[in-house]
Amino acid sequence: MAQIAAQRYTGASVKRSEDPRILTGGGRYVDDIKLPGMLHAAFVRSPLAHGRVLAVDASAARALTGVVAVYTGADLAEMTIPGQDPLFAMMASGGPAPEYTLLATDKVRFVGDPVAIVVAESRYLAEDGCELVEVDYADLPPVASAATALDAGSPPLFANLDDNIIGPHTRTEYGDVAGTFKNADRVEEFHIDIHRHQNVPMEGRGIVASHDPETGIMTVHAATQSVHVTRLGIAMRLGMDAAKVRVLAGDIGGSFGLKIGASREEIAVAAASRALGRPVKWTEDRGENLAASGHAREESFDVRAAVSEDGDLLGLDVRMVIDIGAYPVMGTMVPGIVQAMMPGPYKMAALGFESTAVATNKASYVAYRGPWASETFVRERILDLLARDLGLDPLEIRLRNVAPRTDPPLMMVTGRPLVGVTTKESLERVAQLIDIPAFRRRQAQAREQGRYLGIGLATFIEGAPGPRSPGGPGEGPMGIEHMRLWLSEDGILTLYTGQMPHGQSHQTTLAQIAADEFGVPFEQVRVVVGDSDAVPFGLTGGSRSATMTGGVALHGARQLKGKVLDAAAQLIEASAADLEIVDGQVQVVGDPDTAIPVGEVARQAAAGRLGDDVGTRLEVQAQFDGGEGGWSGGTHCAIVEVDVETGIVTVERYVAAEDCGALINPAVVEGQIRGGIAQGIGAVLLERSAYDADGNYQSATFMDYLLPTACEIPRFEIEHLETVPTDADVNFRGVGEGGMIVAPPTVVNAIEDALSPFGVRIYEQHLPPARILELIEEANAG
Amino acid sequence: MKLPSVEYEAPATVAEAVGLLAEHQDEASVLAGGQSLIPLLALRLARPAVLVDINGVAELSGISQANGSQANGSQANGSLAIGATTREYMAEESAQVAQAVPLLAAALPLIGHEAIRNRGTIGGSLAHADPAAELPAVARALDAEFVVRSAAETRVIAAADWFEGYLATARRPDELLTEVRFPMAPPGTGAAFEEVARRHGDFAIVGLAAQLTLNDGVISDARLAFSGVADVPVRARDAEDLLKGQRPSSELFAEAARAATAAIDPPADLHGSSEYRKKVAAALVRRGLKAATGNAQGTGNAHERQHS
Amino acid sequence: MDISVTVNGETRTRSVEARRTLADFLRDDLDLTGTHVGCEHGVCGACTVLVDGRAVRSCLMLAVQAAGREVTTVEGLAPDGALGPLQQAMADSHSFQCGFCTPGFVMQATAFLTDHPDAGEREIREALSGNICRCTGYQSIIDGVLLAAQRSRQA
Repeated sequence: MAQIAAQRYTGASVKRSEDPRILTGGGRYVDDIKLPGMLHAAFVRSPLAHGRVLAVDASAARALTGVVAVYTGADLAEMTIPGQDPLFAMMASGGPAPEYTLLATDKVRFVGDPVAIVVAESRYLAEDGCELVEVDYADLPPVASAATALDAGSPPLFANLDDNIIGPHTRTEYGDVAGTFKNADRVEEFHIDIHRHQNVPMEGRGIVASHDPETGIMTVHAATQSVHVTRLGIAMRLGMDAAKVRVLAGDIGGSFGLKIGASREEIAVAAASRALGRPVKWTEDRGENLAASGHAREESFDVRAAVSEDGDLLGLDVRMVIDIGAYPVMGTMVPGIVQAMMPGPYKMAALGFESTAVATNKASYVAYRGPWASETFVRERILDLLARDLGLDPLEIRLRNVAPRTDPPLMMVTGRPLVGVTTKESLERVAQLIDIPAFRRRQAQAREQGRYLGIGLATFIEGAPGPRSPGGPGEGPMGIEHMRLWLSEDGILTLYTGQMPHGQSHQTTLAQIAADEFGVPFEQVRVVVGDSDAVPFGLTGGSRSATMTGGVALHGARQLKGKVLDAAAQLIEASAADLEIVDGQVQVVGDPDTAIPVGEVARQAAAGRLGDDVGTRLEVQAQFDGGEGGWSGGTHCAIVEVDVETGIVTVERYVAAEDCGALINPAVVEGQIRGGIAQGIGAVLLERSAYDADGNYQSATFMDYLLPTACEIPRFEIEHLETVPTDADVNFRGVGEGGMIVAPPTVVNAIEDALSPFGVRIYEQHLPPARILELIEEANAG
Repeated sequence: MKLPSVEYEAPATVAEAVGLLAEHQDEASVLAGGQSLIPLLALRLARPAVLVDINGVAELSGISQANGSQANGSQANGSLAIGATTREYMAEESAQVAQAVPLLAAALPLIGHEAIRNRGTIGGSLAHADPAAELPAVARALDAEFVVRSAAETRVIAAADWFEGYLATARRPDELLTEVRFPMAPPGTGAAFEEVARRHGDFAIVGLAAQLTLNDGVISDARLAFSGVADVPVRARDAEDLLKGQRPSSELFAEAARAATAAIDPPADLHGSSEYRKKVAAALVRRGLKAATGNAQGTGNAHERQHS
Repeated sequence: MDISVTVNGETRTRSVEARRTLADFLRDDLDLTGTHVGCEHGVCGACTVLVDGRAVRSCLMLAVQAAGREVTTVEGLAPDGALGPLQQAMADSHSFQCGFCTPGFVMQATAFLTDHPDAGEREIREALSGNICRCTGYQSIIDGVLLAAQRSRQA
């Protein structure tokens, strides 16, 4: 049973509707799908970073008992429509578009690049078949780093481009950049590296595609963040009418940005199903997931900071290089968001920003939780470095530079209003929780015993959904969110949403909001997801759902309630304005004797007894534009201990003061925050998608790509500021990405503080134990 | 990531097992706990024609005490004979192991995770001979003896001769490791297994098996062996010699750490450079000797570890 | 090979290839898809089941090796559809998000609590450190196990 706080579900840690099934093995993930006649696919993948494909001989594989078909890259080029990655095509950001085929034909461009698909009676046999596909390669010089790719002499990955510069080189200036730097007391320069790491959901990608030759309908069971984006991608590359592609999704084992739309492998599986007229399943295994699903974050920054002697950060001039890997998916879109977010919650009055995106022989850059997060890392790292140089405390330099809350709000120099941003309050709250002076005393004592403790602070803001920008387009901060809401004759309120939850608990949180607004018990609300024939367009991502989908659930429930009350007015013989819905019963306000169940109203309507205005179906199509929107944000603080003999870093304490407005379900909110922080800690201490100098992938097993375990992640202390809403109704904002955005600088700042007796300065994000000892040695050397 | 096609045999006796090994020679892989072999199969890095599954060979499992009479040198106090398919959890839970071979008892909880130790076997780990694993370093430190049987003969191989290279041992393809004999610790002995791993339960970047025996406050025996610094577990003889006859002190341990790491040239990998491993190895010697001394004096914590 | 395995109290006989893992046997041959496969090389713990009462990784055991043994999967913990005490405590603690690692954690924690009903947080964290969750940061899972242990002591 749900527990109700203050007579409302919203705001209470209502137990998750998802849990009974996932705790008993009743979840239905894509690999659990079994269809009659289903075949299994596996991919032949490139062992080379960069090579020419001279010949593919699949005859031995095709002859193997149990192998049904082998399609090479050339075969698939015939079976599909040429084009870009569907996500890249949908979000086209300009710049040169490389030409390449669905699977590799002329060239392979990274270790793991798919070359052929083998379809067999079982996955075991499909993998046996892969071993028999003989591919004749000729080595090409690998472009294994952004530095190599920037060299005009590097071998171009794509025949239609002269070099490896993919994103257009752009420079934008906000404010008086030249003047700010000219007049500043000092200008400091930094080079900062963010390392390659990746999503690694516990469930990899996967698809079951089933094409019915009789009807021409392609039914796809997918692991996706949007059934509609997957549908469009498959239709686009298979040359099908999108109406003939139906995408279904059940439970999804995490994603964190990886599973948006249809990937090359998934399109190939759909094409194979169409060619064979049988269902085909592909379940990405962990080796494929680590090597080939996609990576994120490999970026570097040259930053100039203009500061006053007092510690005012006057402006930044930033040059960003992003390594998008082999094929453009998401990488070219990232610099624009980094640029827009670069000022963060700070007052700086000038920003110069230029970026270059390059292709390399590594896995493609995909979205990963807070894809633009490097802006926060760079800014929060630099603030600590500047504080040290100016003799300021890290808290002090932040409080000095953070934008105060004013009416009207201050604008970020890049143009968005900092409305409702409570960075200052969150900094002050964290300082209270931690008692920094007491920590400094403990730190000093520990150092005398050879123990190195450090404290790190970092702040962030996240456009979740972001503010309504004055003068901006009429649409809200994140486009329009749709929802269909239907009251059925059994009294169930059903919400059809295009959200595709993969851990976010939407089936619980959206039901909480709708139950409160509509007036039915939580158990009487059903949330339908994962069927492109039934749900409106939508996407789970970008921390959009709290405001956008929570908002449309609220407004939609209100709209449907109005319709139900209008209809009930005929049955109760009262004005709709005098009716209410309480606990699933429509009644005259305050008079339970008049109550009739909401289902009865639906039954009467279905029977056609309530007239044409009501119709037979109590249903509304609702929309929400995000209202006033707003920012999420906060301050995190870590205390770490560094073992200077082994380089092992232990996170001793971690405190967060977060502000995402009102909490829909505090346990869900905190789960999102903790999970994000854990990924951030993992990124700093453990996780790296490593390539050697020749582009060979080094992290293709879970013994090399190290995810944090329960022993590396501390208990978290989280406080919520729940700032006064900008919208009286929809006062909840997203929390999906903040933890992952701000934890890396928080932890790195703490490590640098711990190592300050050695004079260590840190300009990078990944700090495994061996690197910690190198940093100490480098600092000692001078 | 599916296993390749393979034949499967499940002998019930050692005689049957060695018969199968004689027949298939290096086409066969012995399947014990499978916690290392099955991943290699799944990654298709191992391609045996036949798996000889010895889990059903009852005589291979068990822990028993052997008296010292038949043994030489290191086995003078008698030894604990552990059957090859004795699962790691059984040894971990064995009071006999804890009492008689404290170094082994200290190392066992550090092997992987509980679910791994529930299947993994003592003999399997030592026959797999991963130089980063805990048990090879323990066996090397203690001069354990390896009993192997073929259809023709039984051989006893000293630990110093057992580990021949990366995942390579003195076992011939037609031989089965049946038992490993660990010398029992004399009174006054303290042991510690120290390691630095990226995460809890991972193979250590570097590990150290350390055992000291104190006689009237003087170190009468010292045994140190590293994991993760070469393609085999490495005994630190110079450091041991330096320790013997001395009284424990942090200065002595620091000197031992220098001696122990002077001769090693560890490999580099994703998780650490050679230089890094050397530094960690030195730290582990200092810490391991301190912990072992504490345990010998009855004041330490046998399960102390660096990274928890 | 023909094998008979007692799974969740019921004897199941199937013919399998020697190379088939216990995980694939449970999922594909017996349609017990509650056991999840997260890495297939023995690191992530998602496929953890009980064999003769002990937690093992079903990707690191061949189906033929389970012949004659008793296997318990997550489906066997609550056969009547209700949540068992540990599962209930985990639901009450919002232990999980996407649910993919969940069966492995449930099985590992079930085995652990049986032997260590008085375990504290540090021991629970160590006992579950062979199971990887990518969503939660672990705290809610640990809290669920602590809650189950506390309730069992009070019961």
